[in-house]
Amino acid sequence: MTAISDTPILEVQGLAKQFSLHAQNEIVPSCSDVNMLAFPGQLAALTGPTGAGKSSVLKCIYRTYLPSQGSIHFRQADGEVVDLARISEQDMLQLRRSELGFVTQFLHCVPRRPADEVVAEPLILRGIALADAVAQARELLRRLNVPERLWRLPPATFSGGEKQRVNLARGLIARPRLLLLDEPTASLDKATTGQVIDLLREFKQAGVAMVAIFHDPELVTALADAEYRLAPPRSLTQSTPALEAMQS
Amino acid sequence: MNPILDVKGLTRIHGTECPSCLDMTGPEHDTNVCPACGSVVAAANVSFSLQPGEILGIMGESGSGKSTVVKTLYFDQAPTRGRATFRDDDQSHELFNLNGAEQRWLRNHRFGMVYQNPNLGLNFNISAGGNIAERLLMNDLNHYGDIRRRASELLTRTDVMVSRMDESPKQFSGGMQQRVQIAKALATRPPLLYLDEVTTGLDLSVQAKILDLILEIQHELQTAMIVVTHDLGVIRLLASRTLVMKYGRVIESGLTDQILEDPQHAYTQQLVASTL
Repeated sequence: MTAISDTPILEVQGLAKQFSLHAQNEIVPSCSDVNMLAFPGQLAALTGPTGAGKSSVLKCIYRTYLPSQGSIHFRQADGEVVDLARISEQDMLQLRRSELGFVTQFLHCVPRRPADEVVAEPLILRGIALADAVAQARELLRRLNVPERLWRLPPATFSGGEKQRVNLARGLIARPRLLLLDEPTASLDKATTGQVIDLLREFKQAGVAMVAIFHDPELVTALADAEYRLAPPRSLTQSTPALEAMQS
Repeated sequence: MNPILDVKGLTRIHGTECPSCLDMTGPEHDTNVCPACGSVVAAANVSFSLQPGEILGIMGESGSGKSTVVKTLYFDQAPTRGRATFRDDDQSHELFNLNGAEQRWLRNHRFGMVYQNPNLGLNFNISAGGNIAERLLMNDLNHYGDIRRRASELLTRTDVMVSRMDESPKQFSGGMQQRVQIAKALATRPPLLYLDEVTTGLDLSVQAKILDLILEIQHELQTAMIVVTHDLGVIRLLASRTLVMKYGRVIESGLTDQILEDPQHAYTQQLVASTL
């Protein structure tokens, strides 16, 4: 069953991000005038030249960056629409645990923990028992061609491609309602990339909404339902909505 | 969910307060010593909340007031003013309105503290096991065998060799002393734990093990924690949200990844740029 719907799960309007670097006394625009929609069961691809702010858009949606301008309306599982640029930190943490996923190019994880537990962590945070969570993690690691002998080892010593597979598995395991992907296949071989495409197609079938950056145009063709091409950013003069919301 | 702890306007001034104390100190004046009266503003108008099971980081350099915050919340120091509400099951406690006996009860039963200096958290004149027994006794566990069993469970959990539980912690390494402190703090399964620079001064490999232990405990027991540190690595690893303090003030707060990747305040930008 496809879960295509006319109602967007995410609506980004007039989003802009700029950094104020105090030591250099400089304003660095990162993205601006970004408008986009994401729908359940569909993948929206962000494209554009290097420096157009593609990753910044994803980081603003996830609140790793505080947006400087604009709104990011997200329809929660309970139907309520919230503005991710303005919700409280606690609400954002709750959404990250239950509804949002983010797969970046790089694996940031607790060191010294075996790969299968790293992957299982999002499930454990949702209250699933360790044994169940690890079993699901291993299943996913197998599908992503991570050799079984690596499962009980910490990923610190893995190759770039192996780390990325662990990272993908961790981002995908909890089936978030909205999944943000920042070049998730950048250092994968052809066969594993094929596996990832199959997995993401399954996600679309299951109704997951995705916003993705792919370095490979073939992936955009294979997976994207919509493409948003970003232009190089311009500078702004206004301040940050999240900070204003906190101050009020 | 209701926060387990709500802190509002927490202020601690060493010395007699004069009308200029708050106006003439802080990051914009580049000092926490009042130029008019010489009093030290250790913390001013610190406000935050903590959810059950959450780890909050307080980051800042020496003298920023970060330890003062947890020391007042643990009743080691009295605040000059401010409120702190601790919610425990159905009960709500105004921490700074309680009498001494009530404060001691909370401290012994519902809060845990791990100090940077094990001297402050442990009694070196009694054994490691005895240190834990002391806290268990205050919690109405009176049977010798039960106390000993629970103490050895706790020491096992924190990787301290049970065969050494009858030695004084004076003879232990710094890392082991911290483990005994953690075992002692956890003895009553407190819902709220304060960690004040617990890994500072330890070897890197020992630091790593202590941090792993803290994360495991948080997973197992869902303990809410306030982690005070100047170490960005510790904050990144442990805390979901972070406050940045300077000269007694909270200058910035946010999700930890946001503080580290998109710091807003000039001072935080400088801190992040100088360590990453």
